[in-house]
Amino acid sequence: MTEPILRVENLSITYTVGAGEFQAVSDVSLEIYPGRVIGIVGETGCGKSTLAQAIPRLMPEPPASIGSGRIIFRGTDLVKVPKRKMPMVRGTGIGMIFQEPLNSLNPAYRVFDQIVEAIQIRHYREIGVVKSFQGGDVPFDYSKRPTTTVGSALTRSIVPGGAAEEAVKDRIRTRSDYRKEVLEYLRLVRINDPETIIDLYPHELSGGMRQRIMIAMALSEKPSLLIADEPTSALDVTIQAQVLTLMKDLIDEVHASILFISHDLGVIAETADEVGVMYAGRIIEYGPVDEVFRSPRHPYTKMLLAAAPRTYKSDGPLRSIPGNVPNLSRPPSGCRFHPRCPIARPICKGDAPPLAPVDPQGPDLTIGPHRSACYFAEEVPGLP
Amino acid sequence: MGRSPSDLIVFVAKRLVQLVPVLFGVIVLTFFFTHLSVGNICNAWYPHAGQATIRNCLATTNQPILKQFSTYLVTLLQGNWGQSQSGVLVYPYIASAVPATLELVLAALFLMIVVGIPLGVIAAQYSGRWGDHLVRVLYLSGWATPTYLGAVIAAVFIGPYVGLPNHGEYSTLSPPFTQYTHLSVLDALLAGNLPYTIDAISHLILPATVLAFINMGIATRMTRASMLEVLPLDYVRSARMKGLTEFWVMYKHALRNALITTTTVLGVTAGGLLAGTVVVEEVFDWPGIGQYAYTAIGGGGSVPNYDGAIAVVIVFAIAVVLANLIADILYGVLDPRVDWR
Repeated sequence: MTEPILRVENLSITYTVGAGEFQAVSDVSLEIYPGRVIGIVGETGCGKSTLAQAIPRLMPEPPASIGSGRIIFRGTDLVKVPKRKMPMVRGTGIGMIFQEPLNSLNPAYRVFDQIVEAIQIRHYREIGVVKSFQGGDVPFDYSKRPTTTVGSALTRSIVPGGAAEEAVKDRIRTRSDYRKEVLEYLRLVRINDPETIIDLYPHELSGGMRQRIMIAMALSEKPSLLIADEPTSALDVTIQAQVLTLMKDLIDEVHASILFISHDLGVIAETADEVGVMYAGRIIEYGPVDEVFRSPRHPYTKMLLAAAPRTYKSDGPLRSIPGNVPNLSRPPSGCRFHPRCPIARPICKGDAPPLAPVDPQGPDLTIGPHRSACYFAEEVPGLP
Repeated sequence: MGRSPSDLIVFVAKRLVQLVPVLFGVIVLTFFFTHLSVGNICNAWYPHAGQATIRNCLATTNQPILKQFSTYLVTLLQGNWGQSQSGVLVYPYIASAVPATLELVLAALFLMIVVGIPLGVIAAQYSGRWGDHLVRVLYLSGWATPTYLGAVIAAVFIGPYVGLPNHGEYSTLSPPFTQYTHLSVLDALLAGNLPYTIDAISHLILPATVLAFINMGIATRMTRASMLEVLPLDYVRSARMKGLTEFWVMYKHALRNALITTTTVLGVTAGGLLAGTVVVEEVFDWPGIGQYAYTAIGGGGSVPNYDGAIAVVIVFAIAVVLANLIADILYGVLDPRVDWR
């Protein structure tokens, strides 16, 4: 079995605000294997964005701090990497697409300048002008990534190992070389009329367009791992659908390893291979997307799925989970869901249940078994 | 969509046209303030002058005020800005004094930009920590220094100590070449005279540094404030996420946007500086408009020169308006969201 690109081990992140401490992420572990899409789903404030920003160490420290745990990216523990060396990991190592496309592009520079900067960073690292992140004992090997056969010749050409890879080896590149490459990426993200868009400023573009450019920018660095932090949430519904379709196409074509963060169950169901459900800073259920969504084994997941509106016009009132999301400065003891849980017993208030395989006898799937952090996981399918 | 250079020309031209009524207003105000504020104007203006001068003066000031104004405006536009009591023409003198001041202010502005702005970036980067406090101490000590004190300390103590001249534009009274522009460094360069160029630069250092040190606080403070506004924004985070080092994140992405505000404030400051170099010029014997203003109002025991004083007020007003105009244009160029049409 290949090594995971990213392995997060028992990661805890604390925000210190004034005198109070909020543990936004508690004891989270996950693994991302090459070419896989891992979804993280949860309510607002459950810690999923903090997790996403913690991996490339992007959250402001202070107030945030990594309490414990390891973030092993290509064999190197990023928690131990000094902050001044983190830029080497970002971009070509870990790329990221943010939630707020409206403000994520610099208003002072044209689309061309912003994408070309990303391409140059990768180019200089590839030819060794600038030091790049080497990874630890397990250097990441592009050749291990499955070569794609789907998609247009164009998109294939920018896949690692493709035709464009050869051209990149030239040390000196002219502005028109760069322009050609930027145009390629704009076409990759399905921008009509890239020749016009390339010379525009961000304020002249719509939200969906800006998000496509953010995606193009992230992809142009050919990151080993792409983190998509709610890439569609800030867009209106039709644009959301377009960007989501684009993301799905890209996942198929580029075979990137992706950590996809969303609060939208539907989005995760459509894009991810595996899903982790987060609640109050913890992953409480994890497994293949079909399995988790078809037969959830944690009461929270079950109730969350039941609360999701299925059709446009619902027959009755929308279902909701009774109670409130816990205050993370004083989280409940044991299982953090127990105050709202219909099957809670005294044991749930004691130690936190571990994220254990649901069916210990089941086949050990390559993508990991279905796991749940509930002492009574076998009772969950019987819940209404 | 988009902005083309031809639009920029129109944009600048429009601003220049808007300048005309402003300048007219400035001249109107200056003229009426100076001509209506004193009762017996000729005695006030020429206290020690002979009968002939007084007679000439009365001949003009006895005319209706509007007639006087139109005459004044016409002569002003013709380049006749009057003369001092000793018969020195105002206009040629001002025409050589303004570039000298401009040179001093530009040099000070240059120092404010290359030192003050990075200091502001550092202060924002280490906001609330040691770097920030050190920078604050530095610019506040400049801000708190009275101009005369700073100038005198620099001229009397620092200058001789570090071996920099503290007197005039060149070491000799008149340089051995024609002064076309009256910008001392540029004139020496145009004449191809390298020793004089170095001489001119060394004469410029002290007064420009004093001016910059005292006024640098504005650049630093504005940069710090606007950087602190920009730094938490999403595009700074995405620049960081691209893999750029902190230096490029700060100076290419954050500062580029923070500068939009700083430029505007610097433009206004520059206008103020053009009119505010009186003390520095007097201390360093810099042949600029400030020194001329000082002597024109009778400073240092000289004979008051009213035509000169009025001319100086107009020049100062024009300087402030022009500096604002340049700041305005720069704002439009720096912020791509400003439409030139």
